[in-house]
Amino acid sequence: MKIKEAVLALVLMAVLFLAACSTDAGEETAGTNADEGNDSGDVIELDFWTFWGSETRKPVIDKIIEDFNNSQDEIRVKHTHLPWGDIWTKNLAAVAAGDPPDVIINDINTVKQRAVNNQVENITEYLDEGMESEFYPELWNAAVYEDDIYAVPFNTDTRIFFWNKDMFEAAGLDPEQPPATWAELEEYAELLDDEDGGRYHTIGFLPNYGISQDIWMMNATGQGFWDFETSEPTLESDKAVEALNWARDFESRYGLNVIQGFEADFGNQQANPFVAGKLAMAIHTPTGMYTQLRDYGEDINFGVAPFPEMEEGNGHTTWGGGFVAEVPYGAENPEASVEFIKYLTGPEAQEYWAVMNFDNVANVEGAEAAAQSDELSEKGQEVYQLAIDNMDNTILTPYPVEAPDMMSLINPELEKFRLGDQSAEQALENAQSAVEDLAGN
Amino acid sequence: MKKKKRGLTLEQKEGLQGYIFILPWLFGLVAFTAGPLLFSLAASFTNYNITSRMDFIGFDNYIRMFSSDSLFWISLGNTLYFVVFSVPLTTIGAVLISVLMNQKVPGMRVFRTIYYLPAVLSGVGVYLLWMQLLSPNTGLVNTILSWVGIQGPAWLFDPNWTKPAIIFMSLWKVGGSMLLYLASMQGVPQSLYEAAEIDGANPFRRFWHITLPMITPIIFFDVVTSTIGGFQVFQEAYVMTESGEGGPANSLVFFNLHMWNKAFVAFDMGYAMGMSWILFIIVFILTFINLKLAPRWVHYEGGK
Repeated sequence: MKIKEAVLALVLMAVLFLAACSTDAGEETAGTNADEGNDSGDVIELDFWTFWGSETRKPVIDKIIEDFNNSQDEIRVKHTHLPWGDIWTKNLAAVAAGDPPDVIINDINTVKQRAVNNQVENITEYLDEGMESEFYPELWNAAVYEDDIYAVPFNTDTRIFFWNKDMFEAAGLDPEQPPATWAELEEYAELLDDEDGGRYHTIGFLPNYGISQDIWMMNATGQGFWDFETSEPTLESDKAVEALNWARDFESRYGLNVIQGFEADFGNQQANPFVAGKLAMAIHTPTGMYTQLRDYGEDINFGVAPFPEMEEGNGHTTWGGGFVAEVPYGAENPEASVEFIKYLTGPEAQEYWAVMNFDNVANVEGAEAAAQSDELSEKGQEVYQLAIDNMDNTILTPYPVEAPDMMSLINPELEKFRLGDQSAEQALENAQSAVEDLAGN
Repeated sequence: MKKKKRGLTLEQKEGLQGYIFILPWLFGLVAFTAGPLLFSLAASFTNYNITSRMDFIGFDNYIRMFSSDSLFWISLGNTLYFVVFSVPLTTIGAVLISVLMNQKVPGMRVFRTIYYLPAVLSGVGVYLLWMQLLSPNTGLVNTILSWVGIQGPAWLFDPNWTKPAIIFMSLWKVGGSMLLYLASMQGVPQSLYEAAEIDGANPFRRFWHITLPMITPIIFFDVVTSTIGGFQVFQEAYVMTESGEGGPANSLVFFNLHMWNKAFVAFDMGYAMGMSWILFIIVFILTFINLKLAPRWVHYEGGK
């Protein structure tokens, strides 16, 4: 009796299991059939993976997909949203299993690495001649490996200078005149500090809020940490040493306690001190800072300017990252995938994305149209215009294929310097030789 | 009695049925556990990168690990630090709390619930909560310390205090093992305590000579499992440091975090697999030593 019941249970389980499997398959066939019913020709279905699932981003990308689907009848794109933490490892597993999505949004810094490791399709042959000129060159170059194109840039970011005009006025500074050089920045910061017995109500400026030491080094030297021509790290330089020392001396005025406390309270993007009126000047991405000011900081009267120069004439170099649209290796129909990517990175879709998300986009025409858009407020247009003008000052630092994880060796050395455990020269020397070792292996 | 043709005895039949019942799990064990396990061992001798490469390179991965990867040693050191402090502290903490929770005081159930609650909560939410608690200026921990005149450290921002902060946090979660100790303490025969009391033993001696020996099997179990768990520490460092990079000055680069970075950032999967085998060997040796030492101090009732 008991055995009978158990066998019955087992059979039931098996039936349930099979049923669960077959519903999936059933739905899929039904879906394809319906599509084929609508159109006489063969419709190509594309699976498009993104991590844009938030209330603000999902509707925008869904609308772009819908517009693309309505614009022609050969290709139907289906949007799959995967969480930020999972999407790229899932993609990797799918590529390894030979069943990848058709298009994916991926990190711009690692395109070369995926190209070397056969994780992404070479799409050079499907792209139009001269497409390159439609995009900001730094972004485009990041998607090229050994003269072949593996991805098309979608969006990017840059870092610009924000200052609180009311605080400038209160401190006796000209509210329309942002600091142009590091020396001025330091001078203004001192005037803007509002301190009372060791407790700061307002801090003038913090060199490591919103950005970190590496960006000060790039602003000083005008270049990233890797020379792609000679395949060598380029960490050691006098200007980089000067930048590190400058940022640390700047911080030492406040003391480590104030800084670490400040980082804990305002780090990890839990709250923004500039928006909260606790910081008079900040360097931040236009997207991140402006949208917060727009939504939560209505009474903050602010201005925007390029990154201050180390000294006059040294350049306003700043740093950016971004995302690309690409075709994972082994995708069934790369040509159709690229058709969709062209739309996604075309001026129309890019303008829509830029305006709706106040995001820096990769397509020059799309970005410039967005800056003129009536959808943005006057202040919004001003910030966006500066954001795109600033693309000329923005460098990208794609990961070199010889040392993809080099930052995990560089950052700790810089941190040890910042905490006073070693000199700037020593930190850069250590980092340089650690990266050389890594690349040598 | 008619003999069946197939000639299976009842015992064999039951055995066969037993295997049929566990077949799905047996299949799972072979296909999803043993298979990948052996694959990772084999792949640790290659330059496997998941998608395009898998050439045999002998012991290169292991040689590189021990000779030229400075982060390997740092990560191993950090992990050992965590294990060496967190395992004894959480064990002692759990035993002490369960002694308290074993008193017959009105409202004890409420206290037991309160102490067990942290074990129910888990994951990223708890880590974010602790990041707030440990905030240098405004966090509750430093605020309380300041009431007694102690200027608290910057916890997660000071390389010297990041690991203590994580250990401190793991102490908060001793409720889970407290439950095990509590259950085993309640199984200690009352007659032993009564006899001891008649002999004039004070509460401390009763704890030392009766309670402690009687719960040694659970202590042993707890030490073994939390040592293994300690070596696998990963989430804390991944969530509680900015962009999962391993905290200020590499102070929270745990073994598993470094392994994860090698596997999914550098795509050096063969190397990462090699690292996982080194971790396995370390844990295996420690568990083996634990098992060998156990008869010296673990007291099993019934003398096994």
